[in-house]
Amino acid sequence: MANIIVNGKNQEVTLPLTLVDLIKLNNILQPDMVSIQVNEEFVERSEFETFSLKEGDQVDFLYFMGGGAF
Amino acid sequence: MYDFTEEELNRYSRHILLKDVGVEGQERIRAAKVLIVGAGGLGAPVAMYLAAAGIGKIGIVDGDVVDLSNLQRQIIHTTPDVGRYKVESAKETIQAINPSVEVVTHRDFLMANNALDIISDYDFVVDGTDNFPVKFLINDACVMAGKPFSHGGILRFEGQTFTYVPGSACYRCTFDGPPPAGAVPTCSQAGVLGAIAGMLGTIQAAETLKYFTGVGELLTNKLLTFNAKTMDFRKINLKRHDRCPLCGKNPTVTHLIDYEQATCDLASHKASNK
Amino acid sequence: MANHVLDITNEHCPMTFVKTKLKLAQIAEGDTLEVLLTEGEPLNNLPKSAKEQGYQVLSVTHVEGPVHKVIIQK
Repeated sequence: MANIIVNGKNQEVTLPLTLVDLIKLNNILQPDMVSIQVNEEFVERSEFETFSLKEGDQVDFLYFMGGGAF
Repeated sequence: MYDFTEEELNRYSRHILLKDVGVEGQERIRAAKVLIVGAGGLGAPVAMYLAAAGIGKIGIVDGDVVDLSNLQRQIIHTTPDVGRYKVESAKETIQAINPSVEVVTHRDFLMANNALDIISDYDFVVDGTDNFPVKFLINDACVMAGKPFSHGGILRFEGQTFTYVPGSACYRCTFDGPPPAGAVPTCSQAGVLGAIAGMLGTIQAAETLKYFTGVGELLTNKLLTFNAKTMDFRKINLKRHDRCPLCGKNPTVTHLIDYEQATCDLASHKASNK
Repeated sequence: MANHVLDITNEHCPMTFVKTKLKLAQIAEGDTLEVLLTEGEPLNNLPKSAKEQGYQVLSVTHVEGPVHKVIIQK
């Protein structure tokens, strides 16, 4: 088991784990549109499948928030 | 120098008393020109607080009329305003709060062919809009024109905001383009707790005032996000990226774009009211 | 270095401090401001507030009756 930080909170995960795996694990909303930073570096969407997380990584999921209602 | 009337000294006394503002800060607020895009959920609290603060000139861009469903959160409009143009209703409220504010109404929608022209007259822009295409338009126009702005978005119970000044991270540094038109939340999800608009809009108003008075640190290179369900507030560090399609080393976005607007039953119902 | 006078004996708090701050913003660095105020709230608050906000309070003296004088240096 390894510890990573997701959106500011500790999360225990089993490595190896890619960003795509983490998205599924956390039931992320807007999986096709979410933006991800790992250790404050932006990760390209094309690399989500291959990006492998390691112990202590800090992951931030950033969502589109367009507005309240129509 | 610092030519304030007795009435102004009284009106702005709670600003002047602050060590970090004083008459010097109030003078800067009075000289400021702010454009608010959208007289809706976010634009409403922004406009009201900036009017109360004594911002010299407030421009408002909105082509819509007030709808009954707006009143749940767009507190600048009241029941008798239903059916009126939002900019007219907003102007009236602003003047009632503070008659010395100069209000310029732009009864129009911000588009690629008018954005640069409209923003040119202002020192700071506030994004109070509710759709992605225009959020990217505001970002792009402000970055191109070197105008600082406040980005804001809310959805359901959450909100997020950051402030841009030339050289800091822009919207495209994090989200390189708008989501495809078909990927918007379905209408059943397109709700928002009214007070969330107040929570975020007021933060945007505070950032605007901080910009002019120089107080504290702006939310530049930071995304402030909150979840009102838990009242968790977080700041995520952002960076200006070399690969950003707009402000990076090799920009691919070189002109303003009118992206396709999302359609949804609620939106087209609103569109048919015009 | 000039000396200026501000009479706020007819003012109530917080306009007392507001007007003092305004005058201080208008005078030159190093100048002094003689503030005439009344005892009670103005006397209790003004010298303290001025110090808290980084102004130098040189003296607080009684003039006559309820009137006091506070000398502040910018």
